[in-house]
Order: sequence, then structure tokens, then C-alpha cells
Amino acid sequence: MFKQIVQGSLLLTALGLTAGDTVKIALTGPFSGGSAPMGTSARDGSKLAIAEINAAGGIQVGGKKMKIEIVERDDEAKNERGALIAQELAAMSDLTGVIGTVNTGVCMAGDKHLQEKGITKIICPAAGSASMTQWSKAGVKDCSIFRFAAHDGIQAAMVVEEAINRKYTKVAVVFDSTNYGVSGRDDMLDQIKKQGNKLEVVAQEKFNIGDKDMTAQLLRAKSAGAQAILIWGIGPELAAISNGMAKIGMKAPLIGGWTLSMSNYIDNAGKNGNGTLMPQTFIEEPITPKAKAFIDGYHKTFKVGRIPSPVAAAQGYDAVYLMAAAVKQAGSTDTKKVKEALEDLKEPVQGVIATWNHPYTKWDPADVTTHEAFRREQTVMGMVKDGHVVFGNDADRERLRKSALSATPAKIKGKKK
Amino acid sequence: MNASIIGQMAVSGALMGLVYALIAYGFQLTFATSKSINFGQGELVMVSAFFSLTLLNLGVPYWAMIPGGLLFGALMGLVVERAGVRLALEQKSEGWILLTIIIGLFFFSAAENLWGRDDRPFPTPISADPIHVLGVDVTRLELAVAIGVLAIMGAIELFKRRTLLGKAFEAVSADRDAAELMGISATRTVMLSYGLSGAVAALAGILVSPITTVGPTMASALILKAFSVAVVAGLDSGFGVVLIGMFLGALESLASFYLGSGWREAPGLILLILALAVRPTGVFGKAVIRKV
Amino acid sequence: MRRILLLRGAELMVFAFLATIPLLVVNPYALGLLTLLAIYGILLIGLDVTVGYLGQVNLAHVAFLGLGAYTAGLVVTKLGLGMGPALLAAMAVGLLLGGLLALPALRLEGPQFALATLSFAALSTTALNELESLTGGAQGLSLSRPPVFGHALTPPLFFWLCLALLALVWVVMRNLLASQWGRAFEALRDSPIATDAMGVGTYQHKVAAFALGSSLGGLAGGLYAFNFQYLQPQSFTYDLMIILLLGVVLGGRKSLWGAFVGATVIVLLPNLLSNRLLFQVFSGLGFAMALAAGLRGLVKKTTRPFQALAPVVAMGLLVVGGLFVENTEDWRKAIFALMLFSVVVGLPEGLMGFLSIFLAKLFRVPHAPLPEPSDIEAILPPRSADGAPLLVIEDLKRYFGGVKAVDGLSMIIRSGAIHGLIGPNGSGKSTVVNVISGLYTPSAGRILLRGSALPSGSLFRVSKSGVARTFQNLQLFGELTALENVMVALKGVYRSPLPLVLLGLARREESQAQADALCLLDRIGLKDQALTKAKDLTYGAQRFLEVARALARKPDLLILDEPAAGLAHPDVVQLIEIIKRVHKRGISILLIEHHMDVVSELCDTVTVLDGGKVIAEGKPEEVKRHPKVVEAYLGQPPQSDLPGDPSPQPA
Repeated sequence: MFKQIVQGSLLLTALGLTAGDTVKIALTGPFSGGSAPMGTSARDGSKLAIAEINAAGGIQVGGKKMKIEIVERDDEAKNERGALIAQELAAMSDLTGVIGTVNTGVCMAGDKHLQEKGITKIICPAAGSASMTQWSKAGVKDCSIFRFAAHDGIQAAMVVEEAINRKYTKVAVVFDSTNYGVSGRDDMLDQIKKQGNKLEVVAQEKFNIGDKDMTAQLLRAKSAGAQAILIWGIGPELAAISNGMAKIGMKAPLIGGWTLSMSNYIDNAGKNGNGTLMPQTFIEEPITPKAKAFIDGYHKTFKVGRIPSPVAAAQGYDAVYLMAAAVKQAGSTDTKKVKEALEDLKEPVQGVIATWNHPYTKWDPADVTTHEAFRREQTVMGMVKDGHVVFGNDADRERLRKSALSATPAKIKGKKK
Repeated sequence: MNASIIGQMAVSGALMGLVYALIAYGFQLTFATSKSINFGQGELVMVSAFFSLTLLNLGVPYWAMIPGGLLFGALMGLVVERAGVRLALEQKSEGWILLTIIIGLFFFSAAENLWGRDDRPFPTPISADPIHVLGVDVTRLELAVAIGVLAIMGAIELFKRRTLLGKAFEAVSADRDAAELMGISATRTVMLSYGLSGAVAALAGILVSPITTVGPTMASALILKAFSVAVVAGLDSGFGVVLIGMFLGALESLASFYLGSGWREAPGLILLILALAVRPTGVFGKAVIRKV
Repeated sequence: MRRILLLRGAELMVFAFLATIPLLVVNPYALGLLTLLAIYGILLIGLDVTVGYLGQVNLAHVAFLGLGAYTAGLVVTKLGLGMGPALLAAMAVGLLLGGLLALPALRLEGPQFALATLSFAALSTTALNELESLTGGAQGLSLSRPPVFGHALTPPLFFWLCLALLALVWVVMRNLLASQWGRAFEALRDSPIATDAMGVGTYQHKVAAFALGSSLGGLAGGLYAFNFQYLQPQSFTYDLMIILLLGVVLGGRKSLWGAFVGATVIVLLPNLLSNRLLFQVFSGLGFAMALAAGLRGLVKKTTRPFQALAPVVAMGLLVVGGLFVENTEDWRKAIFALMLFSVVVGLPEGLMGFLSIFLAKLFRVPHAPLPEPSDIEAILPPRSADGAPLLVIEDLKRYFGGVKAVDGLSMIIRSGAIHGLIGPNGSGKSTVVNVISGLYTPSAGRILLRGSALPSGSLFRVSKSGVARTFQNLQLFGELTALENVMVALKGVYRSPLPLVLLGLARREESQAQADALCLLDRIGLKDQALTKAKDLTYGAQRFLEVARALARKPDLLILDEPAAGLAHPDVVQLIEIIKRVHKRGISILLIEHHMDVVSELCDTVTVLDGGKVIAEGKPEEVKRHPKVVEAYLGQPPQSDLPGDPSPQPA
């Protein structure tokens, strides 16, 4: 009797009370606080996809159609909450998969609980390299964590390449003091070395979340003679950098991570943001009918005039379709089977960013890219122009349109990038 | 190091410091009458800024928006007083600390849901183009902030000294019980101080938003610094906050230049602890003689 | 006995219940929550020391959690040591840095203290973030649980470890708080001045309390590190601190149970609110409870209207809002805020404070029986009164800016005498007392006690040297009982070293102290009210309690600062009786008084002050007729102070 009461009350707290013929997918991420624009964009993108799938009757699982049920958890960008949520999700016996997380720390603190139970998770829309390399470092044989984001390695390589192509020789590296910013710095410094040390880093400057006055950092960069600023950070602080540069009359372009395309940078930097360059996987331009439908759908469903973070929203959307395809292929809602299917998706999945052709392969601890969906070719250089992100060059637009419409070349198993 | 660079940083920092000073002044106003402060003052700054932005988006012209925003701030200040402070003061408990924090949390969450989680630009008719003064670049916007800060503080100080209501305010600050005996309602005066403090927070929001952008977290970094400024200057020091605010702002800028930007806040924090240890009631605060 | 059974029984049951859960339920999430609960329990017990017992808003506790976590993490990863040393190191860091921070911070109170601690917290985050080579900076520090005695710590084992440590901390803290230390903590919150004046060093106790609380923060940090196995500086910031503070107050301050309940709320509530159904259940229940409690309070007029209505409105908002809002997850913080608001307004003493009143009514737990009072001969052995100079004041001056409050005072108090000090308002009497007792440092002059210099400028050291005082404006420890008020001041009883106290091995001296204190209460006729809180005593009784408390110092010289102020006539008679009884034990007394009849009846010698100077000295009858004295008193505003004025003056 006593035991039953304990069991019951704890289960009540631990589990939702619903069960039945649904595919249960958890959406997590920071839905409040500083990283919320990314977290909510990704979540809403995912919800949009789920609504579409459910409207069409659900996913074909084995013999019947099953609708997707959402479990939503706000991790507040706090590691502690993230760990607890991961434990909660890990304890759900009928969970098919998890999509979400923005903050690297949350992945570091929480994903181990999912990995232990073998619960499939697609990290989306962001998180630094460490969120995947922790598994290769630990040398796990079988990994249930996937990432669906232009990983920092690709982005940093593109940023450095761009600076070299533009014939800069002296750059300042500026980054925020969070895990995201610091690992971005490390990736960029690493890439500068890899690409032949053609850039001299004349200043390394850090800023805190919430800083509004960047004069000191910029003056250090300026007096050291930086020709461009390679930047890694999130949100309105990036705008403060651009505005600060305009104030002290510093004319050097910002080149940095994809977060520079978020509306809180573009709007707040205004015309000072013009010319800023960043790698992009999705640009809020209706270049394909699918993209147009997605953008319109998002605006209508969530009653906004713009997507706070289009990249995050698009990735959230596509991640759901990948997960759904895996469920269908596995013919089961069992998370382990879904993981296996995800590692070997037979049919191309049409997303809004690209048509995903075999995005993941069997996990190889020596090569994290086995669980990374994005390749260099899905990423282009975007540039801020008058309040919008446009393609850095037109050739890219054409290439991306094609890749979104036709299937990307299938990935060769085990091939290293 | 080049003098103009030092000057540039000191000036930029000091101008930011003026914003700390304004918010700090809001702390002082309520502390004077009630020995309490609103720990959710940052959220007051934020919701007022959001409200003002909504007014602008509805087509209200900029100069007409300001009184609207101030009124809203004052109203929110009164809400905080009624819901979070009055009961605690009547019971002579320190419940106000938690209640104001809790009300702030509520404002934060409400703002996230009503206005969205994203940071947004705040339009202003004042240009953000730099002008060159004495070898230092400042923007008109920054100058406008400085003028606005000093103007409202001056106006409130004048009000306190020149009007009857203001004198009641001073009387309650000096000795609450004696003022009550003279027929001044302390409760009303505390309400007045919270209203004024809310209006000051709103103005801070309106002034600083074009620089910091408007978002739910816009004031969370500002508020801790404003609190430091208020306490270090002395919670009863009036214009002392201006000097301390500018000093702290400039110090931060210079520290981040010389020590590296990660250590930006460290010298200020250490100085702060030391300043308090030497002068517990603040640099410009009145020393208290212990009586029994 | 029944009391002990009930209290200990409840504790045992809760801990036993918690400990059996992992055996019954295999659910990693539930286990994760419980583990965190145990860790936060330790953390909040530590925070309660400063927030509850010292009554200060301490915003640095989260920093000690962080520093402790990093210490433990680094000890394991860099030094390769085991969990035991790591946890010890975490505690040591908390203790050490807590003590260090307390040195400057302890001069401060209220907002200033809050800011100093806040700055420390910000500094420690900066340091953790910037010392990248050591801590890994923002990238974080990953660690793994080292095995203990060769056994890997599975989640249930780790939970049991945390729970066992919580139980240990619980027992140790209970012993400490039940001892003189606990009383001292509470005393110095109610009146730091009186605490010092009673020979209990405010300074030492504050530092000790803060360091102790911080070391518990460090311990919790160590466990936190092994629980999450990944640390980042940003985890330990203001946001978390606020949640912790809310936890302590919600649970109920000054209570181990309160800290535990608070930890339960802050760990479980945010995680439970994610579930829509549970949210609706909670809000419905909350609304019903607020309504019931509010109505009851209004009908019985025990609460103010606002206190009764506000929680109802807040919970009503929650219920109504719940119907309209599609996604409760989005509003989680607002929901949390509304619930907290209702509790804080409706139950200012916290959940546990409320429950304890309720439970006390239900079970009628009697206080443990008090021992028999000690013999007065043992506590205050009669001393010889030889009439030799006891306290000699030579040319004493104390200026406040331009005001010469005391201006060249010389006087001699003889052993065994009752020496009166009178004078009109503003004549400097109180300043003299404050200078002698060490509250003020003299501007010039000397004070000698039995020929050697009396320490100056420190209440604490003066008290230690054998001078005790009462306060004109009562400085009792309001939250303590009459008995405890006396026990705080008791001299020469508490000898056990701290470790024995912590282990609960100092019970004998505790009952000795109770017996001694009871004896002194008996002297002033308050024996029957020994267990009443000082703030609930009648005004007269409070005045007498001041005397008993000062007597507990077993002083050579007792300074009574206007002991009859505000007393009604019967009380004055009783006071005179009490003073006479004290005097019989051979204690010399300096009596500052307005009531000439009291002075006339008691004093051997009277010194009259005016304008900070002595204007007359002699036997009461002579002094009364002294022309300067008459002039000084009649020159004053009409209301007061005429010698022999029968109407008592309120203080």
C-alpha cells in the first residue's frame, strides 16, 4: 500500500498523465531569459512542423497513423534546470525523441542522462562544439545525441576564410564571456592556425552579457590596428559593438557566427550593421515555395511580423521532419529504433533549409561529423544590408536554391571532412 | 597611452554611469521616506520602456510619449508600493525585500509574454551620429541622456525643496514619527516616493533604450550597478549618486582597457567593498551616531 | 519526554521516508530531484544562519556554493584526490573565504551588507570565469564522481550520501543553535549593542556565524559538483541567489525544518509547474486555501484586510489565467511569482512558521521542564564593600562636533556604594554612561577601575572587565525568552569547546546555565514568566529583566540607566526593592535617575550634572537644596525634572 502511494505520487510528478497512440516528442530550450529568442524560435518552428504533420493525420508508424504529442520544457538556459529536465525526460518510458537546447552548458550538464538511457536527441538550433566532442572524447561506442546546427567548426572556418579572402591581415577577435563565445574564440584561433596563420590577431576582447558600453574593447582593437573584427556572441550585445564602432568612427566589418543574422542584432544595429558578414543556413528570403510557405506559416501562426531568429526556426522545423522520417522508417516509436533509423535515413527528407539526403551516419567516436547534419555546402555567407540578411554573393543563392529543391549529394559513409 | 583614448573611455564610461546614477536615484527616493527599496526596480525600467515603445508604435509622437511613459512608470511604482511594501512597513518587517523581488519576477514574465522575448530597437528623434568634442567622440544621444538625467534629478530636488508636498517628503525622510505628529501622512508620502521612483525608472528606461535596446533583460545588468552606486554614494546622498555613478562608469571602462575586458568589473567591486568598510553609510552618506 | 519523542520522531520519520524512496521507486528523475533536495537542504540551512539568525540579507551564499563546487571539482580533477578530501576542501574554502569576507562586511547592515555580499558574489563569478587555465572558464569544468572505497557511486548511493550529510548537518546545527552560540546569534540580531554590552562579542559571533554558514554553502557546493558533474561560473549568479533567498523565507526563517521545506519548494515547484494538470491542481488548491484562510482571518480579525485579500486575488488570477493561457510553460515564472507572493503575504513567518503554530496547537508540546534554580550564594557570592574607590573618572570629556556633551567630569564611585547621577535633560548623564560602558570613545580624560585603566570604546571589553549596564531605551533580545535573555549574559558558565557543543556534549552546562538564570529571574520576581518572550512581557517586567540580565554578568559595578523611566508607582516600589536586594550582595551601583524619590531613598552620594559639568555633589538631602541645582532645574522648560517631581517621565 505504502509502496503504491509512493510510486503513484512520484510517477504523477515525473510523468505526464497521457498515454496512448501518439509519438511523444520533447521540445526543450530556453523559453525565457536572454537566450529565449533563439529557444522560442526553434520551438515554434518545430511546433509549426508538428502542426503540419498532425494536420495531415500524423506519422505513418507501422500499420497506423500516429499524431505527435509535444512535451515542452523550459530550461531557462540554466545547466541545473537542463540536467533535471534531461533526467525527467530520461525517465519517460514512452518518449520517442528530444529536440532542442541552445546553450552548450545545458548539453554538457544534461545530455549524459539521455545518452545513458539511449534516448534520441537532436540538438537544435545551436550549442558549441563541446556538446558533441564530449562524446568523442569519452569514446562512447554508441551515441544517441545528434546535432542539427551549422557547427562552429564550419562556421569558424568560413569566417576566417572570408577574412583572408578579403585580404585582411590584422584582425581583432571579440567574443562574449559565455561558453558559446569562448568556444567560438577557440575555434576561430584554431582555424587561423589551420589556414596558415595569414591573419594576425592584434587584440582579443571579451564582453559580458548585458554590457552596453563597448568603447574600451573597441578602442583596444582600433589602436592595435584591427582591419576586421571576428566576433562570436549572441544578441543585442553584438549590436552594441556595431553602434560603438560607429561612435568612435571605426570602419571595420564584423565577421562572425550566424547569430549576427538574428533580428535583435539587425534591428538594433540599424544602418551600423550594414556589411556585417555571417555564415547562414537559412535566409528569410522566400527563395523556394517551401521557404515561402514556412515563413508565411510562421508569421501567421505565431502572430509576428518577423521571426526573432529565422535560422533557429528553420532548423527547428527541419529537425522535426527528420525525426518524423526516422519514426516512419523505424516503424516504431521506440527511441532506440528511431536512433538507428536516423543514422541511416533511406529517403531524402524535404526541409525548408535543404533536402536532407542521408544526413547522419553510424556514430564513430573518432569523427563527430557522423552525427552532424550540416555540411559546408549548406552554408553560405550572408550579409546584412538595410535591415535584411541577403546572400553575400548571388552564386550562393542559386546553389542554395538548388540544394533545397533537389537532393544533396549523399554522404559517403565514414568519410572525414 | 594616448590621452585622447583615455579621455574617450572615461567620457563614454561616465555617460553610461549617469544612467546608473538615475536608477540609483530611484532607490534613494524610496529609501528616504520608507527605508525600503524596490529590488524589482530593473523590471520597472523595463516594463516602462516596453510601454513607451508600444505608445510609439501606436503612433504617439515622441515628445507626447514621454509623459505617458512617466505616468505608467509612476503607476507601476504605486502598484509595487501597495502590493509589496506597505504591509511590510506596517508590520515593521523586512518582507518588502522578497515581495519586491517577487513582483519584479512577475513583471518580467508578463513582459516576456506580452511583448516578446526579443530585444528591439527604440526609435528616437535624436541622432546617434558622433560629434567631436575636445578630442572625444560622443553621440548626441548620449548627451541627451546626460541632460535628461540631470534635468529630472534637478526637477525633483527642486520639488522637494520648494513645494509644500516636497517639504512633507523631506519631513518624513528626516523623522517619520515626528512628521506624523505634525499631521503629515507618512503613508501618502511613501506612496508619493514610490510614484516618483517609478517615474524616474520610466525615464531611465526611455532615455537608455535607444542605446541598450528594449528587451526583458535590458535592465538586469544595469540594476546591480545602479544599486552599487546608490549604496556607495549613500542612500540619502541626493546628488552624490551622480559623482559616484560617473566615477564607476569611467572606472569600468578604464579597467576593461587596462586589465582586459573580462576583469572589467573587478576593480569597481573591490573598491566598493572597501568603500563600504571604511564608510558604511556611503561616501556621501550621513554618519550615524549610535544612540541607546 | 513526550516533546523529545514528537520532535525527534518527526525528524526520524522524514529522513527514513526519504531514505527508503530509492528502494521503492526506480525513477532517475525522482531520484535526481531528491538528491538536489538534500543538497539544497544543506545549502539553505547554511543560508539561514545569516538570513534567519543574523537577520541580514546575504547575497554571497551562491558564491560559496560555486566556490565549493569548483574547489571539489579541482581537487578531484587536478589533484586526483577522492570525494572525502574534496568535500572537506570545499568546506574549508567556504569557511576561510566566508571569514575573510565577514571582516569588512560585518561592519555593515541592511542594504550595505547586501551590497557587499553581492559584490563578493560578482567578483567570485568573474574570477571563476577569467582564471581559465585553472577553472576552464566559461567552457566549464567536467568531472566525474570518484569511487568511494572502491565502489562507484550509483545515483541511489550518492543520494544516500547527500541525505546522510544533510542529517549530520541537521544534528550538528541543532546542537549549535540550542547552545549559547545559537542564543548569541539571535541576540545580536535583536540588539547588537546589548549583545556587546553583555560580554558576548558581536564581532566574533558574526564572523563565526557567517563563516559557518559559508562552509555549509561550500559543502553543498561540493555535493553539487558531484551531482551535476559539470560546472560553469554562470550557474552561480544572482538569479539562483534570489531563488535561494526565497526558499529560506518561504520555508520559514530560523528553523531547520523551514530550510528543508524551503528547499523542497524551490526544487520541486518549478519542475512540477511544467505539467499542466499539476498546475491546475495546485492553483485550484491554492485558491481554495487562500480563500479559506483569508475569510477566517477576516472574520476573526486576526489579519489585515490586505493580508487576507491579496493572496486570494493572486491565486484567483492564477486560476482565471490558467483558463485563458494556452501554454503555461511560457508563464512559468509568473506562476511561480504569484504563488510565492501569496505565501509571503499570507504567511509572513513562512510555511514552517505557520505549520509550527498549527502543530503546536494540535499536539500541545510542553516545554522541557526547567531545573531547580541555583542558590544565589553560588551565583552572586556576597562581596566585601570596603568603601575604597572603585571607579575613578578624571577630567572626562566627550564632544560631538561642537557640542560639549561631557566637559571635564571628575567623580569617584566607592566600592559598595549606590552612587546617584542626576541632572536635567541634556546635562550629559547618558553620554557619561555611554562613555563608561564603552559605546563612545572619550575625547579626553581617564577612567580607572580599581586603579587600572578601563578599556575605552568597546562595550565588549568594558563588559569583560566587570562593569555591566542596563539601557534606558530597552535593549532586550525581544525574540528570546526572559530566561534566554539572562542566559545570554551569564558569565563563567560556558566552558565547553566548540567541537563538544557541535556533538551535543555540552548539555550539562546548558542546564547549569538554566538553573543560574532562573535564580536571577527569581530575584526580580519573573521566575514564573521565564519562558515568555521578552517582547511579550509587560513594560515593568521588561525593565526588571534588564536588571537581571546585567546581573548575570556578575559585575563589580552595575550601571542602571534610568531604570524607573516610565514605570508606574507600584513598579517603582518593586524596583527599589530589587535594587536594594542587589546592593545587599555587595555590588556597587551607579544609578542614573530622574525620580528624586528613588534617588533619595537609595543613594549614598549624588552627583549633579549640568552642561556636561559637575555642579554639585554630596548626600541627596544636601544636594537637593544646593542653589546651583535648584537653578539648573528651574531654568529648564517647565515640564520635567524638578527634583522630587512625583509624576514619572516616559522615556
